[in-house]
Amino acid sequence: MRFAVAVKQVPDTMEMSVDENGSLVRAGVPSILNPYDEYALTRMLEMRSEGDEVIVFTMGPPQARDALVKCLELGADEAYLITDRAFAGADVWATARALTAFILKFVPDADLYVFGRQAIDGDTGQVPYEVAAQLGVQQFAYTEELTRDGDGFIAVQDYGDTRRTCRVPRGSVVSFGAVDPNGSLPTISGYLRARGMEVREVDRVAIGLGVYSVGLKGSMTKIVSTRTSSGSRRNRKVEINDPAVGAGFIVKELEAVR
Amino acid sequence: MSDCSGGSCSSCSSCGSSDDPDRLPPGMLKVYDLNQSTADGVLVWIETEGFGEDLRMADVSAELLGAARGLSDGRVFGVVFGGQEVKALYPRIFGYGVDTLYHVRERDLEVYRPEGYASCIVSLIKRIEPATVLIGATSRGRELAPRIASELGTGLTADCTGLTADGRRIVMTRPAFGGNLVADIECLRFPQMATVRPGTFPMPEARDGTGTAIYWQFSGGLSKEIMFEETVTESGEDIRDARILISLGDGIRDRSLIDVAESVARKVGGMVSCSRSLVEKGWMPRSRQVGMSGRTVAPEVYIAFGISGAVQHRAGISGAHKVIAVNSDPDAPIHHYADLSLIADAGDILREMDRALRGSRSGKQ
Repeated sequence: MRFAVAVKQVPDTMEMSVDENGSLVRAGVPSILNPYDEYALTRMLEMRSEGDEVIVFTMGPPQARDALVKCLELGADEAYLITDRAFAGADVWATARALTAFILKFVPDADLYVFGRQAIDGDTGQVPYEVAAQLGVQQFAYTEELTRDGDGFIAVQDYGDTRRTCRVPRGSVVSFGAVDPNGSLPTISGYLRARGMEVREVDRVAIGLGVYSVGLKGSMTKIVSTRTSSGSRRNRKVEINDPAVGAGFIVKELEAVR
Repeated sequence: MSDCSGGSCSSCSSCGSSDDPDRLPPGMLKVYDLNQSTADGVLVWIETEGFGEDLRMADVSAELLGAARGLSDGRVFGVVFGGQEVKALYPRIFGYGVDTLYHVRERDLEVYRPEGYASCIVSLIKRIEPATVLIGATSRGRELAPRIASELGTGLTADCTGLTADGRRIVMTRPAFGGNLVADIECLRFPQMATVRPGTFPMPEARDGTGTAIYWQFSGGLSKEIMFEETVTESGEDIRDARILISLGDGIRDRSLIDVAESVARKVGGMVSCSRSLVEKGWMPRSRQVGMSGRTVAPEVYIAFGISGAVQHRAGISGAHKVIAVNSDPDAPIHHYADLSLIADAGDILREMDRALRGSRSGKQ
């Protein structure tokens, strides 16, 4: 079987900090493989048995290659970097369209299309389902468990208030709901294996889309303005030596609300 | 018409003169923008929870219906799925201001199926041409909305925390980068779609009303084989409803402190929530997790004990009225974000609060 896993390279928001004015410090923040995608990939690698292939792909700038190399080190078999200057500024629709075009051209026969729940930088969590709709296949969101069952799979989905078990036909889109906080480290043999592998680059022409179908020009939404969110917090800092005094502070604040 | 050559003939005036671009055919007073959409009004997906007699409308759907009237001069449409039991909700739905309710009673769609729901709502959107489609940012709404947007080929803004109307255009506001930035987003096409976070709009006043209900027939859409479904009943209380939240994070090293926190929460009439790390340790259930991958809360007072305040966590508390942070690390990012920061050991303060509150209560008795 062939499993295609979509990944994204993101700034490590855990490493981000705020300065005194409450604005985000982005300089020097390292880029990482989105933890949700890493989790989805490791789940697929665990499921892989003899003869199965795990293909990873990402859309991003040339430096997103690093995220794919990490995937190869973790054990993926093939990696595609979908990159083109024209892809910049893509919204959910344009991103999904490019990914769908790639899938139809390069991995149309995959048995599952696997996504992480969301990217930690954008946090929209919508690309998997837009891709599913464009492919015309079923979608399985918030998947907790995925097992093989005959010709297809069985997924357990966690909707928060209900947990549902579904039969997953081949060719469906599956998105995993969880994340592994500790991440996963490649093994030495994985690291050595990845050194001999290449990341295949795919551009706009290769996936057959026009310039008005991708990136900013192909987007259906437009950011009109951005502003720093109102730092309306009072920000009074007190150093406490006696816990009783600190507890008193809080109790007083609470009495004001009750 | 074969001798019509570039508008130089005088046999008809339908093609206009090439040297006079403003000349129009007779009777036509201005150039119409043929790409202009005629879409108008707002469509809201009314999400239902529970089954049978216990069926109720999701709060966020009610909030959106209440807000829809103010966002548009056009009509307010609602779409709801389910069988006979949904009829009990009609008076309330119309009371919230719905003009026309489309009720989908197809047997295949009585249970939530994202593929079928999306195709059905798409067929409805093509019929009524709303300018705006609003869906609550619940776990179901967040997977249904993109499916609809993608089938229609329109834009979608996820997780909005504000909507403002500009004619029939809607400017959608959503937090970015963990709540440190706020972005205003416009959709370039009709219908413009948004998922909206629960609590963004006030709950409208509950009253009964009447209106038009139409059974919307739909067949087709992908089917889905659901083998079984179970309702997860964790603690009945929801941290999103709490006015006071005692929230615990990584700085809580001793598991017994959770009991202390529960005791404090009981005394002040609040609830205990947590950051992601405690869920991953298995100390707290996922339903109590606050943050990007957990719940978004908006209590009166949010007290963060031993929470460092990563952006993912702060995104979940941006709606809190007041934030108090207790953390022994003076450099923890949460201290920049709180109204009141105490640089102290979280456990000491918790125990001391427990003691102080016990004292004050027994003193009153």
